Amino acid sequence: MQTKARTLPLSKRGMSFETFMWLFTRLSALAMYGFIFTGIVGALIMGAQNDMSFVEVMRWALMPNVGHVEHTNIPDLSPFATLFWRSVASLFFFTAIAHGVHGVVVILDDYFATENQRKWIRIINIALFVIITPIGLYVIWMG
Amino acid sequence: MEVTIKIFRYNPEKDQRGHYETYTVEAHENDRVLDVLELVKGHKDGTLSFRRSCAHGVCGSDAMRINGRNMLACKTLIRDVGTNITVEPIMGLKVAKDLIVDMNPFFDNYKKMLPYLINDSPLPADGKERLQSQEQRARFDESTKCILCAACTTSCPSFWASDEYYGPAALVTAHRFIFDSRDEGAEQRLHVLSETNGTARCHTAYNCTEACPRDIQITKAIGELKMAMVTGKID
Repeated sequence: MQTKARTLPLSKRGMSFETFMWLFTRLSALAMYGFIFTGIVGALIMGAQNDMSFVEVMRWALMPNVGHVEHTNIPDLSPFATLFWRSVASLFFFTAIAHGVHGVVVILDDYFATENQRKWIRIINIALFVIITPIGLYVIWMG
Repeated sequence: MEVTIKIFRYNPEKDQRGHYETYTVEAHENDRVLDVLELVKGHKDGTLSFRRSCAHGVCGSDAMRINGRNMLACKTLIRDVGTNITVEPIMGLKVAKDLIVDMNPFFDNYKKMLPYLINDSPLPADGKERLQSQEQRARFDESTKCILCAACTTSCPSFWASDEYYGPAALVTAHRFIFDSRDEGAEQRLHVLSETNGTARCHTAYNCTEACPRDIQITKAIGELKMAMVTGKID
């Protein structure tokens, strides 16, 4: 009787783009919760408890860009514009846009089923990804 | 009691498109929808076409949409669906005539899962069976219950979009063999499942689980396949 554990190594089962993106979509969703939590905790440490409303904290947490703190009562914005927060915002933005663009592709695949249609959906979405990413990074780093 | 049944009708030799016809028959509340269809065919309109075989929920021939939900006509009682019934063919497959659909795309996808035991290893020393513990058998017990009625696959929104998607029934078949300790074809099947039309097209809508007349936890089985693809664990 066969009793040993059966596990297929990666070299045998392979990792197609679809499988990789399926995994990425799940992990990136979890990562985004982590980014939001980091943003909330960070804002509270940097004075949000007294000088920001809940809405302002959430706006910052959902995209930790210093521009989202400008109209709050925070007297000194410099802690919100450090290399750390710009890096967090960049990673958050990249994760979110990759998650979102792939999600759109997966949903559109339900409506466009021919090989040619799916090819164009991928081209258009990759183009959007390539165009939007530098714009977002520009806003984060030049703000 | 009097039962009013509205049936989708389509004759490819006469009709440009499908239409509905309504019939009224006398039936008992414990009769099944299949019995009502038989009454219509036998006494009202002999041109009505539908598939049936065992009439006891085993052969999977008579899956159809009853009041908007995929069910087996032979397992659906009148008392459970009421006296105003609408019967339509299952969705996502081309209608051949009335309630009969072309099942070829469904079975093409089924065949892609290599639905047979693959084991090229030599037989055990005694030359007899490849033994399996009760736990190993229980691992895939649920997916052996599939009767290939297509109720799950044709309730899946991803399959409605494209019959290239393998669909829940084919994935359940893959589950049945991949998690069988005697089988050695998991590598081939996981490669098939990782293609564009494989598990990636499952959006966890749960329609398949709701539609299954055998109560197979299909979405759970597909989830296990996804985990097997990521972790490689097929125990």
